[in-house]
Amino acid sequence: MNTVNNVDPVKALKARLPAGVQDVLERSAARTYVSIDPAVVKDAAAFVFGELGARLIIITALETRAGMEILYHFSFDRLGRIVTLRAVVPMPEPQIDSITPIVGGAEYIEREIMDLFGVKFVGHPNPVRFLLADDWPDGVYPYRKEYHGQYPYRTEEQLQQVRDDIRRKGTK
Amino acid sequence: MDIYGKQPGKLARWGLKKSPWAFHLNAGSCNNCDIEILDVLTPKYDVERFGITLIGSPRHADVLLVTGVVTMQTLPRVLRVYEQVARPCLVIAIGTCASSTGIFDGSYHVVGPLDKIIPVDVYVPGCPPKPEAIIDGVVKCLAKLS
Amino acid sequence: MSWLMLIVAVIVFPGFLFTAAVGLFSSWFDRKLSARLQWRVGPPWYQPIADVVKLMSKETIVIEGAPRFTFLSAPFIGLAAVVVVSTILWMASIRPETGFVGDLIVVLYLLYVPSLAMIVGGSASRNPYAALGASREMKLMLAYEVAFLIAVFTLVIKNGGILSLGGMVAYQQSGGPMIAQGLSCIIAFIVSLVYVPAKLGIGPFDIAEAECELIAGPFTEYSGPPLAAFKLTKAMLSCILPVMVITLFLSSAWTPWAILWYALILVVLALIKNTNPRLRIDQALRFFWGPMLILSLVGIVLAAIGL
Repeated sequence: MNTVNNVDPVKALKARLPAGVQDVLERSAARTYVSIDPAVVKDAAAFVFGELGARLIIITALETRAGMEILYHFSFDRLGRIVTLRAVVPMPEPQIDSITPIVGGAEYIEREIMDLFGVKFVGHPNPVRFLLADDWPDGVYPYRKEYHGQYPYRTEEQLQQVRDDIRRKGTK
Repeated sequence: MDIYGKQPGKLARWGLKKSPWAFHLNAGSCNNCDIEILDVLTPKYDVERFGITLIGSPRHADVLLVTGVVTMQTLPRVLRVYEQVARPCLVIAIGTCASSTGIFDGSYHVVGPLDKIIPVDVYVPGCPPKPEAIIDGVVKCLAKLS
Repeated sequence: MSWLMLIVAVIVFPGFLFTAAVGLFSSWFDRKLSARLQWRVGPPWYQPIADVVKLMSKETIVIEGAPRFTFLSAPFIGLAAVVVVSTILWMASIRPETGFVGDLIVVLYLLYVPSLAMIVGGSASRNPYAALGASREMKLMLAYEVAFLIAVFTLVIKNGGILSLGGMVAYQQSGGPMIAQGLSCIIAFIVSLVYVPAKLGIGPFDIAEAECELIAGPFTEYSGPPLAAFKLTKAMLSCILPVMVITLFLSSAWTPWAILWYALILVVLALIKNTNPRLRIDQALRFFWGPMLILSLVGIVLAAIGL
């Protein structure tokens, strides 16, 4: 594993992908946000995770006016720094390359974001429903700004139907 | 207390009051109330004095301790477990989420508080309720029997 | 014995009611002692009685598609076998002359039936946890029965071929307790003491009804009076097995000293239960077919050469 002791990871990333890195924002000595082009996310992840030896903490998503922001938080434990790669994808059909082939642990995180935000991760090995119930309708994404609590069962008839379903299929 | 239309006799009530076996069901809770239920079952509070034991199978249960707001995923499971419990049985809703959905009201996936789904005998509010509050709830539930 | 006296012997004293009372007391004793060892207070003396009363008043649920007759009758067959064994065993101590030659073998045979009832009941439950519990109990039975049988026949060789329990009690009353008659008998006593928790399913051998792993083992789908029958069977076994050990090794079980031995055996079982974690099924098999089998074989060889 190549740990970086002498090279600043952000500078190394900029040197590796000069066209992909769009902006660097340093919030504090330990927290850096690097805006990247969504097309180079796999190369950036391979570089940061593989060569620089960082650890993927989590992937988060956020819907803004500019589009859907997907943030990949990497931690450099030995340096005590967290570097976040921020990719903005355009809104009506957000999609981005999946980094699961590179970082195995991203598989479940990306499935969660698929369920809750509706982001399509191209190349994900197992894109099935993860978090929401089986009878949750497709196309309704709870964490988007347009969602206002239309589901689930609110009426007594729907509840009674579930009860009858169970009674009919039998529990004994 | 659902007993399919038949009232338990005096001896049965005595038996139920002195030896209530508890089954713990998590209907989508954040696990805080589950940890407090676990605390109740430790030697510090010693509920075996009252005959309360934690049992694994719903068929053996007298008291159902249900935590958590009922979500879409757990709704059929809660109904199924409730049908499987041998009557007479008492249901205790533990925590604010089970009593009234708490802070999750209106959220996606939330079906409703527990008493919309199955009949509840005692509510123990709190987020999470202290073990002393849970014991108080169980005692009140048993006092309902006499 | 007239028919009326026989019925009273089987049902009231010393059969069903007496053994059930002593058994429920010993189950309370075990729970109270375990509580005290854990710095708790523990249940009151009527707790096991309340458990049985409560179970009798609950609903009985039979799974759809499970064989109804087998499922409902298994616990009661186990209970019936235990009632018969308790009558024979107590009568051997109270009136040694009322036995018959070979009733030791009958008792050993009948003691298989409660475990078989557990296995059959678990298999008839149409539930994967119950099937797993039944299969574990089957494996455990294969493990513990062999060493114990060899230990019992060590005793038979040692006392000159007496195969009736009453005869053994009479032999011990005239010649001194079996445990004081040589090294082979001490070895047989140790093997029997290890057999008791394995048969009862307590202590480090509660593998069949493994509470955290298997929901409730073979009893998962039982509720109401059949479950009360299973619990009562276990309570009565916890009275009978120590009494059998006392009858075989420490002369009669109907003397004031026997109460002390009985309490001592209960204390030892509770201590072992509280200090040991549960064994895995392969560890239990290795234990009974390894050290225990070798020990009992050494015992029987020593008995054959006269030690």
